[in-house]
Amino acid sequence: MTAAVQVRALRHTWPGASTPTLIIDALDVDAGQTLFLRGPSGSGKSTLLALLAGVLVADGGDGEVRLLDASWRAMSAAQRDRHRADHLGYIFQQFNLLPYLSVIDNVRLPCRFSARRRQRAGSGAAERLLERMGMDASLWHRAAGVLSVGQQQRVAAARALIGAPEVVLADEPTSALDEDLRDAFMTLLLERCAEAGSALVFVSHDARLAPRFSRRVDLTTLNAAATVAA
Amino acid sequence: MFRSPPLKPSTRRAALRALGACALVAGMPMAARAQAAARPGGYTELRWDDLVPKGWDPTKGMRDRNVAGLPDSDPRAGDLMRELREAWDNAPTLPALDGAAIKLPGYLVPLDESAAGITEFLLVPYFGACIHTPPPPANQIVLVRPARPLTGYRTMDTVWASGRLRTSRSQSQMGTSGYTLEAALIDRYVAAPR
Amino acid sequence: MTPLLGLAARSAWNRRFVLALVVASIALSTFLLLGIERIRQDVRASFSQAVSGTDLIVGARTGSVQLLLYSVFRIGQATQNMRYASAQALAGHRAVAWMVPLSLGDSHRGFPVLGTSAAYFAHFRHGNRQSLSLSQGRAFGAPGLFEVVLGAEVARRLGYALGQPVVISHGDGALTANDHADKPFTVVGVLAPTGTPVDRTVHISLESMEAIHLDWVAGVPLPGLKVPADQVTQHDLAPRQITAVMLGLKSRAAVFSVQRDIQSWRDEPLMAILPGVALDELWDVVGLGERALLAISALVAVVSAAGLVAVVLAGLDARRRELAILRAVGASPRHMLALLALEGGWVTLAGVGTGAVLHTVALALLAPWAQQHFGLVLNAGAALATQWGLIGALLAGGFLASLVPGWRAYRLSLADGLSPRT
Repeated sequence: MTAAVQVRALRHTWPGASTPTLIIDALDVDAGQTLFLRGPSGSGKSTLLALLAGVLVADGGDGEVRLLDASWRAMSAAQRDRHRADHLGYIFQQFNLLPYLSVIDNVRLPCRFSARRRQRAGSGAAERLLERMGMDASLWHRAAGVLSVGQQQRVAAARALIGAPEVVLADEPTSALDEDLRDAFMTLLLERCAEAGSALVFVSHDARLAPRFSRRVDLTTLNAAATVAA
Repeated sequence: MFRSPPLKPSTRRAALRALGACALVAGMPMAARAQAAARPGGYTELRWDDLVPKGWDPTKGMRDRNVAGLPDSDPRAGDLMRELREAWDNAPTLPALDGAAIKLPGYLVPLDESAAGITEFLLVPYFGACIHTPPPPANQIVLVRPARPLTGYRTMDTVWASGRLRTSRSQSQMGTSGYTLEAALIDRYVAAPR
Repeated sequence: MTPLLGLAARSAWNRRFVLALVVASIALSTFLLLGIERIRQDVRASFSQAVSGTDLIVGARTGSVQLLLYSVFRIGQATQNMRYASAQALAGHRAVAWMVPLSLGDSHRGFPVLGTSAAYFAHFRHGNRQSLSLSQGRAFGAPGLFEVVLGAEVARRLGYALGQPVVISHGDGALTANDHADKPFTVVGVLAPTGTPVDRTVHISLESMEAIHLDWVAGVPLPGLKVPADQVTQHDLAPRQITAVMLGLKSRAAVFSVQRDIQSWRDEPLMAILPGVALDELWDVVGLGERALLAISALVAVVSAAGLVAVVLAGLDARRRELAILRAVGASPRHMLALLALEGGWVTLAGVGTGAVLHTVALALLAPWAQQHFGLVLNAGAALATQWGLIGALLAGGFLASLVPGWRAYRLSLADGLSPRT
């Protein structure tokens, strides 16, 4: 079975940089696998996530990034956006929600852009996910701006998982949470990913979270450019 | 019986000049005459002098009187102008043109306007048939009733009027009522470049 | 596009306080454009309907537009009268079919009084050759002393019925001393509504007009000359001066010839106008003002659109996270362009809608006043084709203007990707 995410011979340079920012020989994430990617700030983790999500396309060499056996580079911009909508969930570090939509409308957002996600979700999926994330029903129709940070991150996780996308990317989703909330969030996230069968690529500088994941990779080791620069 | 006062010399001479060449009253270029007479829709294009019966000459009988040499204060000058006026007002129409499908260019003078547009107007051969020039003779004025009320036209706009010409005779003291164009199709007139 | 319509609406609503001024600005320009267009068309329709079938209007030599305005629309003043003897001579002209004399100058409670003959009711036409008809009573006879026929609007507004006593005032009736209180009139007829200045006119016979001025000299009542109402028949009530005359000709083609005759009338300086031609001259003058007003309103619309663009652009930097979120859930940069353009479209729609409603309300409020003072009929109801055209142009303009911030959002989301710079 092909991996959910495949990276081969990736070279990417920041615009204006003289040397490559990212050089990754190979990286595979299997279906349903949870990967902890440890990297301090400035190690290029945001760039890597953008490349994995197909928002950026590698500009150096002929390396490629494949999501579900489809190469981002081979697609047009419109095709990339559609592929991302259909198969990917994304969680930011903070400010994940559109403040002018209600909580439940925020969760349903990916279904606006992907018919496949909408079909896979079926009716009532948003409600079920929010319940499983521990969000009280009274909050569902409130504007997203009134929630606390912890609540917002849980809603973001629900949104990333609606319609059971094959891959979920998370960019330091717990860095803005305090310890209690962080642990609760991690449990919920990992449980839901397992339920949906989604692979999870979790990027963070916090090594204490690593034991929860099935695979752990250090970005500075993975990234050949980092070792060269260091 | 009302009398009109003697006209100013310039106006009188202008009237006499126009009268002497009444068959050639043409205030606007007739360049289109050179094109084929039959037009799409089967209308024959006419010139204004085509509306005048051949041989109509209201100055007949005036030639022997020394017209241009009369001083203005001479009562004969006033009489002459009155005779002229009456001759023009009673100008005959060409019976042969009754029922003809014709197309004629001219200046538009609105008479009746409803909410939908102009429903009746007069077509005259030259501009400003008001103060400075004498009114045209009765056979140089066409009463037009457009097939559909006209919008977007104002006084003294130049138009082509196409339709069936009628020469009507009424019992009025004014003599013949002149020409009427019923259910006419109206287009804007655009002068040929010259 | 459709997933974005709802998003754009919610997003715009979320920032409604900031956008409220822009909405108000667009509403103002809509109000102006629609209002000017409506008034323009209705005034033209009202004016062109006011008189029909009259070949010439004759008066003292003033200006053609002036003569038209006061003889047909009762607007303005006649600076000079003409002699009734001339009117009678005109009635005998070989080309004239009918002659209706008009005498203006008095009023009743703000409504103009018209002295005329019985021929007025037979020959006056309006609209599409419609003649006058009575809804109550009858026209005054000849001489019809102290009898009044009211226009529909006068009867309605003052609540008059048949038999109502009416006191005519000299001039505009501002001073009660100018009332012809010693010679009261009685309403004998009420005309059906016409939608023309006839509705707000009070009609009396020429003889009645002469009778109430018997003891007046040069506009002032002289106590020594007082003539009581019951003695007026002992005096000669033939009018000497009138304001204007309406002529109908036996042959319409003769109009130029008759006009020429009147212009060169020997006994007094007269002028004759063709109502249609004089109206066109009026529109020439008014048209300049109309075009200026329209141009200014169009400028207001442009300024409003610029304001919309400025407000949305200014808020765009703060929305870069929002754009990144949308990117993450699968929106493309082109979706961002569409989103911003649609937001601008919603704002424009709100503005145009508000302006249109305001315009209808204002017109409904203005219509009775216009009807009463000018005999103008303003239709607040159905929108004109040109008004729909203006609405369409405003909506299109707002949407197109919003492509500017849309384009900026497109570039920002391309550049930022998932990591906005804020």
